[in-house]
Amino acid sequence: MKLMSNSLIVLGLSLGMMAFTAPVMAQDEASTLDELLQQVREARTEADRRYREREQRFIEQRDQQEDRLQEARDRHAEEEERQERLSEAFEDNEQELSELNDRLQVRMGNLGELFGVVRQVSGDAQGIVRNSIVSAQFPDRGDTVARLSEARALPSIDQLEQLWFLFQEEMTESGKVVRYPTSIVRADGTREDVDVVRVGVFNTIYDDLFLRYLPETGQLVELGRQPAGRYRNMASGLYNAEEGTINSMAVDPSRGSLLALLIQTPSLGERIQDGGVPGYIILALGLIGVLLVIERLIFLTLAGQRIKAQIGAGKPNPNNALGRVMGAYAENKDDDVETLELKIDEAILKETPALEARLGAIKIIAAVAPLLGLLGTVIGMIRTFQMITLFGAGDPQLMADGISQALMTTAMGLSVAIPLVLLHAVVAAQSKRLVQILEEQSTGIIATHADKLK
Amino acid sequence: MIWIAESYAALRDFFEAGGDVLWAILVVTILLWTFILERYWYFRLIQPRKTREALEKWNAMSDHDSWYAREYRERLLSEIRVDASQFIIYIKTIVAVLPLLGLLGTVTGMIQVFDVMTVLGTGNPRAMAGGVSAATIPTMSGMVAALSGLYFAASLDKRAKVEVERAADLLRYH
Repeated sequence: MKLMSNSLIVLGLSLGMMAFTAPVMAQDEASTLDELLQQVREARTEADRRYREREQRFIEQRDQQEDRLQEARDRHAEEEERQERLSEAFEDNEQELSELNDRLQVRMGNLGELFGVVRQVSGDAQGIVRNSIVSAQFPDRGDTVARLSEARALPSIDQLEQLWFLFQEEMTESGKVVRYPTSIVRADGTREDVDVVRVGVFNTIYDDLFLRYLPETGQLVELGRQPAGRYRNMASGLYNAEEGTINSMAVDPSRGSLLALLIQTPSLGERIQDGGVPGYIILALGLIGVLLVIERLIFLTLAGQRIKAQIGAGKPNPNNALGRVMGAYAENKDDDVETLELKIDEAILKETPALEARLGAIKIIAAVAPLLGLLGTVIGMIRTFQMITLFGAGDPQLMADGISQALMTTAMGLSVAIPLVLLHAVVAAQSKRLVQILEEQSTGIIATHADKLK
Repeated sequence: MIWIAESYAALRDFFEAGGDVLWAILVVTILLWTFILERYWYFRLIQPRKTREALEKWNAMSDHDSWYAREYRERLLSEIRVDASQFIIYIKTIVAVLPLLGLLGTVTGMIQVFDVMTVLGTGNPRAMAGGVSAATIPTMSGMVAALSGLYFAASLDKRAKVEVERAADLLRYH
């Protein structure tokens, strides 16, 4: 197509030239027709020749273009061939690469697993070693294991052996009772260099004191609150024991958490604070009750002594109840028996309220204290449930705290009520005896005295 | 001899499992039984003598019909009543208080359970079991001790009344 269009252009051009040149030549010295004819012929020949030349040139150029086209086509084919070759090579390489990768994976497989296991085990070991009481004796051994558990590179044989050694050491030490010098922190915060005895991985003692290992600081601290005396005696016995003898010893199988619990148990003062307002009301009531009991005890004892003295004495003494009753008799002894009896009854009636006073109040306090305790418990439970409403039941520790507070008031109510009930019985018995002396014996005593006077 | 040590150890374990309230229960129970035994001893040995003395005093009186005599008899009987019913109110009170002490033990034991929960959460039933035993043992002990005294409280109360009645029968008007 391209070729044909080229030749058409060439032809068109040559025709145009022909039409253009003809009149020009006609103007040239055409003296005769023959000459003109000759001129025209020559001109035509000349034009023909020029046209042919140009045509020739065009053809040459066309051939040249064709050659270049061919050349370009050849190169294109060549390049395509090359591309094919390269992509084939690429695929080959790709495949080889993936094969090699697979082989790498397979060969890495065992080692990678080993690496994971080592990290996991050393992570576990770190926890054990960190919290172990043995670390108080060998303070630096946590570092190896920490390095191992955080390492990114594959562990070396040397490191693996260190890990193994650590486990072996922990096992061996857990079965030993050893004495070694170290520095401990006393309960008052001072440091002291002493010999301590470590019982396996369970307890460390100094004389009769149980020590606690703090993993955060790596220190041994004296427990602020020590276990019961029996256990301390065991500890002391073990601490001062001769080499090779057998001693009984109480160990903390939880490796320190039971002893830690002992410290966290709130003291009596903290417990009373837990009781809140109802707790304080109960305590105040209990105090009032005890004061009332003491007042009654003193009053009734004194009154009883005076009455006893009066029974022996002859003359009615107005400083005591019986004396006053006898005084009423002495004033009216000339009346007839019935009037006398009425007068004496009246005198007794006047005396009883003083003897029976405040007993009712003590009894009411003893009855109200447990009820107040119950009230405190209910208030505490309401608070606990409000907490559950706010924070959900997911945290048992939050709830347990509220409940133990709630129960505290019940305990306080009972602890106030029980002694008050017993004390009330004592005071009531005393008062009852005195009232009985007045009511049933006063006339008898008067009769005896009257007999004597007769 | 070993059984002594063994029973001592068992008793000690029991008291340690039960907590401090158990000691209060023990003290109160000992008090209760002291009073009960004292009363039986009194009724067996002292009471007959007192009745006899009162009877002698009564018989020694010249007249038994006057107002004075009747009042004097009332006095003698009242003295017997006061002596006979002494401590019985304590016995009754202690019998009433012992279950309350058991309840106190239950509450303190439950507080212990919740203390453990506060520190360790619910994940440690073994640690909580200590508090549970401290809650149940005093309740049981309080109940048992109260029941042990219940019969004697009633029986001694009746005995005191009977003794007074008997004395009243003896002190006859002539």
